Amino acid sequence: MSAVAYGRLRSRKRKERTMNIVTFVVVIICAALVLFPIWWIFRTSLMTNAEIYRYPPSLVPENWLFSNYEKTLKVFKFWKYLWNTMLIIVPSCLAGTFTATLCGYAFARLRFRGKNLIWALCVGSMLLPAMVTLIPLYIGWTRGLGIHDSYMPLILPYFCGGGAFNIFLIRQFMMSIPRELDQAATIDGAGYFRILFSIIMPAIRPAMIVVALFIFIGLWNDLLQQMIYINSSDKYTIALGLTNFRGQLKSDWSLTMAATCLSFAPGVIFYLIGQKYFVEGITLTGMKA
Amino acid sequence: METINKPLKRRSRYNSSEARVAYICLIPAFLGLFFLTYAPLVGVLGISLTNWTGLKSPEFIGFDNYVQLFTKDPYIKDSIIATIYFAFLSVIGSMVYSFFIAMLLNRKIPARGFLRAVFYVPFVLPAAAIYVGWSWLYEANFGFFNFLLSKVGLNKVLFIADSSYVVPSLSLISVWLSGNLIVIFLAGLQNVPSVYHEAAEVDGAGGWKRFIHITLPSMSPIIFYNLLMSLIANLQVVTPALALTNGGPGNSSRFLTYLMYDQAFVNYKLGYACATTFVIFAILAVFTALLFKTSNRWIYNEGGDDK
Repeated sequence: MSAVAYGRLRSRKRKERTMNIVTFVVVIICAALVLFPIWWIFRTSLMTNAEIYRYPPSLVPENWLFSNYEKTLKVFKFWKYLWNTMLIIVPSCLAGTFTATLCGYAFARLRFRGKNLIWALCVGSMLLPAMVTLIPLYIGWTRGLGIHDSYMPLILPYFCGGGAFNIFLIRQFMMSIPRELDQAATIDGAGYFRILFSIIMPAIRPAMIVVALFIFIGLWNDLLQQMIYINSSDKYTIALGLTNFRGQLKSDWSLTMAATCLSFAPGVIFYLIGQKYFVEGITLTGMKA
Repeated sequence: METINKPLKRRSRYNSSEARVAYICLIPAFLGLFFLTYAPLVGVLGISLTNWTGLKSPEFIGFDNYVQLFTKDPYIKDSIIATIYFAFLSVIGSMVYSFFIAMLLNRKIPARGFLRAVFYVPFVLPAAAIYVGWSWLYEANFGFFNFLLSKVGLNKVLFIADSSYVVPSLSLISVWLSGNLIVIFLAGLQNVPSVYHEAAEVDGAGGWKRFIHITLPSMSPIIFYNLLMSLIANLQVVTPALALTNGGPGNSSRFLTYLMYDQAFVNYKLGYACATTFVIFAILAVFTALLFKTSNRWIYNEGGDDK
């Protein structure tokens, strides 16, 4: 390598290194900006109301009043709401993941008549906005089946494949598993269900975790359907409880923010546990569409 | 592809026990597609042609609901404007924001995994709690944003309590929530072959030129996917109105889905609300179709023309 070329390479490397440092600083600033609202909410939850209204506001609470949380828990029935939310989320996640896996298996591996048509109907339903079916479904559950003030309308849909999007995700993932694996098992005499349960399911575990997490997030965020189907306050979920709590305590910001932080907690904990799979899953849906 | 599929199309190739297993596996999907998707879709159309209120039995009234909706309804015009305005700001904002962050995260920087996780955090928080939390940041007298404004010597703004600021304020929250787009963009960026960049650099192309001529074209399918998903999600916006604004102040955040909720579940005008539903459906369909229609002009296809 000539001296000139070597010099150019070195200067390029140096330029790249400074660029990376600048990038790092910008990313850190952006990340701080993104986390800032959460911090602001959290620090408010640890302050007295007098401290909240002080000017200029301080970034850090004076004496971290964790007693605010005790006060909040007396009015805001967080554990009850969390339990109620779990009563919806746990069966939905299990059933949704399982049925999505069954359907994904049929589309990814099995040959049968009408496959293309059924697949087209499935993909078509992905483009159909959820809001469109809301009222007919409400009428179906409450008038048709006479189900009122129940979690069933929120849970049972997940026994039907967990939504086309999740079936799609599972199918994409299964197609990336080499077919030689099932062929070898077929030669050994394994049936189709045997192959699914003992070969494919272990191989697509990351995708199944992702589907479960997506269902979790979906239910977590779905204030509208919870509002429609749940009426009595002892059946309230976290989202309903918090919305209602805010209405009651309009001006007591420190308690409201404490309740908000409590509601943040389960999501953050689940996310920290499943972080790796989460990112993998979103990538999967975006890349292979 | 053609040649691989051909033998499968012959009927004799369908193994009957294989097909039976497939149909058993698909029972949940059949139930879901019929009862939860396509039957309700037909239902919306049917109910929208009646005057059903939930109390007395429905009567067929033809297109009266639609006529009333477009000629007499006091909210529908504001509602359509608010929805499109919100979706426009949110989609543009989140696309630019997440593409920018993804570009930054795509460089070799320390703690990349951790930083990526940070940008994703807002997405996993329950939506209702996010809006309640942000309502404090937007508070008129003691909120953080008004403190910032007073610092730089500007007048106080009411944000979500001011009809001209409410939609942009809610859009900012929606941009903040768009961490999932970042992850998808980032995955796409990592798939852009570095050979292209190196070749362009040898030819003397600077950073900006490479961005326009290499990064953007190779990312166009991913941009399209994110644009589509974010548009569909934002046009159906309802949670901020439910959790925070109740459609106000005035009608400035009475988004279409909230209007539908109000008609159906507050005023029990089910037939009328289904007409509104159909309007939402039509607007989404038009935007989706427009996006698909223009897509072949700006999406760069790796393997040349497919068709």
